[in-house]
Amino acid sequence: MADKKRSTPKLDELEKGEWPSFVKEIKIAAEKNPMANDLLGQLERSYEEKIGHWKHGGIVGVLGYGGGVIGRYSDLPEEFPNVSHFHTLRINQPAGWFYTSDALRKLCDIWEKHGSGLTNMHGSTGDLVFLGTRTEELEPVFRELTELGFDLGGSGSDVRTPSCCCGMARCEWACYDTMALTYFLTMHYQDELHRPAFPYKWKFKMSGCPNDCVAAVARADMSIIGTWRDDIQMNDSAVTEYAKSGTDIQKDVVGNCPAKCMEWDGKKLKIDNRACVKCMHCINAMPKALAPGKDRGACILIGSKAPIVEGALLSSVLIPFIKFVPPYKELTDLVEKIHEVWSENGKNRERVGEFIQRVGMGNFLEAIGVEPIPEMVAHPRENPYVFYEEYFEEESEDDKNA
Amino acid sequence: MPEVQPKPKRKTDIGPPHYENFLPPIIKENYGKWKYHEILRPGVMVTVSETDARLYTVRAASPRLLSIDKIRAYADLADKYCRGYLRFTSRNNVEFLLTDESRIDPLIKDLQALGHPVGGMGNSISSIVHTQGWVHCHSAATDASGVVKSVMDELIEYFTEMKLPAKLRIALACCLNMCGAVHCSDIAILGIHRRPPKVDRSKIKVMCEIPSVVSACPTAAVKPATIDGVPSVEVIEERCMFCANCYTVCPAMKLNDALNDGISIWVGGKVSNARSEPMFSKLAIPFLPNNPPRWPEVTSAVLNLVEVWAKNARKYERMGEWINRIGWPRFFEMTGIPFEKVHIDDFKHAGLTFKRSAHLTY
Amino acid sequence: MAEQATIQEVSDAMYKMIKDSMGQKKWKATDLTKAVEQLFGERCDKALIKSAIRDLIESGKCVYTYFGGSFIEIPHKEGAEN
Repeated sequence: MADKKRSTPKLDELEKGEWPSFVKEIKIAAEKNPMANDLLGQLERSYEEKIGHWKHGGIVGVLGYGGGVIGRYSDLPEEFPNVSHFHTLRINQPAGWFYTSDALRKLCDIWEKHGSGLTNMHGSTGDLVFLGTRTEELEPVFRELTELGFDLGGSGSDVRTPSCCCGMARCEWACYDTMALTYFLTMHYQDELHRPAFPYKWKFKMSGCPNDCVAAVARADMSIIGTWRDDIQMNDSAVTEYAKSGTDIQKDVVGNCPAKCMEWDGKKLKIDNRACVKCMHCINAMPKALAPGKDRGACILIGSKAPIVEGALLSSVLIPFIKFVPPYKELTDLVEKIHEVWSENGKNRERVGEFIQRVGMGNFLEAIGVEPIPEMVAHPRENPYVFYEEYFEEESEDDKNA
Repeated sequence: MPEVQPKPKRKTDIGPPHYENFLPPIIKENYGKWKYHEILRPGVMVTVSETDARLYTVRAASPRLLSIDKIRAYADLADKYCRGYLRFTSRNNVEFLLTDESRIDPLIKDLQALGHPVGGMGNSISSIVHTQGWVHCHSAATDASGVVKSVMDELIEYFTEMKLPAKLRIALACCLNMCGAVHCSDIAILGIHRRPPKVDRSKIKVMCEIPSVVSACPTAAVKPATIDGVPSVEVIEERCMFCANCYTVCPAMKLNDALNDGISIWVGGKVSNARSEPMFSKLAIPFLPNNPPRWPEVTSAVLNLVEVWAKNARKYERMGEWINRIGWPRFFEMTGIPFEKVHIDDFKHAGLTFKRSAHLTY
Repeated sequence: MAEQATIQEVSDAMYKMIKDSMGQKKWKATDLTKAVEQLFGERCDKALIKSAIRDLIESGKCVYTYFGGSFIEIPHKEGAEN
């Protein structure tokens, strides 16, 4: 049984309203769980004082791993002793976040026994998050998780848990098998995921098409975004159907094409596929009539991140098009080369995007053995401060006489 | 002598279970063979395969922070309606995967009874991606779940209906570290600290290693110093950008400041390539106070942005695309947000963000 | 070619470096790698170093820590726990 029921007038306000309430969730857990009950108490305090009451831990974890556990301690342990430790476990989610009720129930049983009974489905990176437990519970949770076939995800300067959209499982636009690649990369980099060996974190995110449902371009060090090279597949009669049922094809579809590569004469839609930039708009607007082409693969972009330390970055093109065939050797060779160069020369807390900014994309490409191509830039440089590496020298007298 | 039971070998590096274990038969049979999908009504979608197999998805809101009791309730619904199969989305919604169209209505009824509205598809506002806030984070400048709950209570009709010109993606991060990578959202709600860490001189010597604190600072704002004969640190205030890295290393460098912490609002970012290229969100409102439990200033600011955009944008035009068409002066005019000094960038390459043409509207 | 160092030799050398600079410097896996490469020269390679780090951690002599980045340290009481 939990300790005394807490008075939480501020949090109670957040039980009202139609959107599902996290306060209700904490209260349900608090009926049986003293940790959840003290969380409620400490959170109410934060709401009164307008500040958080957590301290960051840096040492706790399971034996042998450097990732997967986030240490957390209350700064009010006397008042809220049951959250004096309140560590998080990141559990590597199944690719695409598919579950069976059976697996979820077993996960819940573990967490009922060993933790607060509170979770995040899911954390920002994609892991299933067990929210809040004591140091001595970490090993038992880990043992039971691995018995169930689950493992911890990444944290710290390691390969973070890769994540992806649902891809071919439920989407006709998936240009490659995002779930297969995610599973493969997760397994291939188990050591790098659990044992931090990099200057800072490394994230892989896999989106099946340029709609990028997992925001790969904004937050992955390597963003793998599905695309195609040939013609958009078109069903003329389905286009006509859309027109008949009220879609203004000229205005809503053709008018929004960024490449201006479409024409509509009221009967037939024409696409200049050579000029199409694969933005997805027309396909999104008429999913029954249009589809990505058949020559499908992915574009690999590199270097995005949130602001800390040197400012936010979006990923930029590294490999314009790649076809994926298991065992994905072309990809892993590339990643290995990048990891080597970045590990050797990256500074502490320097994401690969910031590393590229510091050393220059040209130098980076040279180091990893990738040829510079115009697809990599929005435009060539504007400033004339070129660090020329090649120049002519006067032939010496000796050379002339030779 | 009793036989000693060998300790079971400790399993490590097994990775997640293979996803195939969790796919319903209809997905296994039609994996990679889907032909098209159609949103039938808010929160309900059918995906049709080449062989005309039909998979119905019902999407419901979730607060992300879930009790095991609620997860068990989801599991019961999955058993009742979908042979035990369900999934979660990248925006923390829960999705039930049905093969029998006639079961959709009863499922929606059950979900609503459980307190989980159905919606978030098509031209709507899907769940707000967010971070931990005061529930679990040491560097949070605001709560996350409470702000999200307050904002979504206000915007719920845009989740349960599809009456917006385009999708609208809202995200919240409770400090600059942006665990939620909110920097490319139509509307980003960002917790901000505005004062550098306060050094607790009585504790720093016992709680922290001075060299680690110094080296933790990415901008070299923390310097070693001996104060009254005791080793400590000093903070060069103008170099601090409030990342809380020093506080991560050293609990005696508290950054939280009830008076000065608050929220900023950013607009016009996107990650999708549809029509326009991905773009960052830009600063709209530099500071709103933390006003728990309901953050009325934040909810009304977000509601205003949504409504002004919804009223004026063209079909398919995301927030950033709309602003790019009408221009920033008109954006500030239409939303009634005052433009201030801090709206003008002063970090690296700030000049690229200045207006460098005479293309103006009058 | 010089004879390869043993895992034990390399992990002992790492342990000493970490111990000697405790409270002054935190070591990242990459720093340790570079330092033992210098120390052992041709007698070690990346694979051996990786095994030595693993030995260091799995023996319990050191632990991975996280303070705004991951480090390898001798286990000590958590400052935040005080």
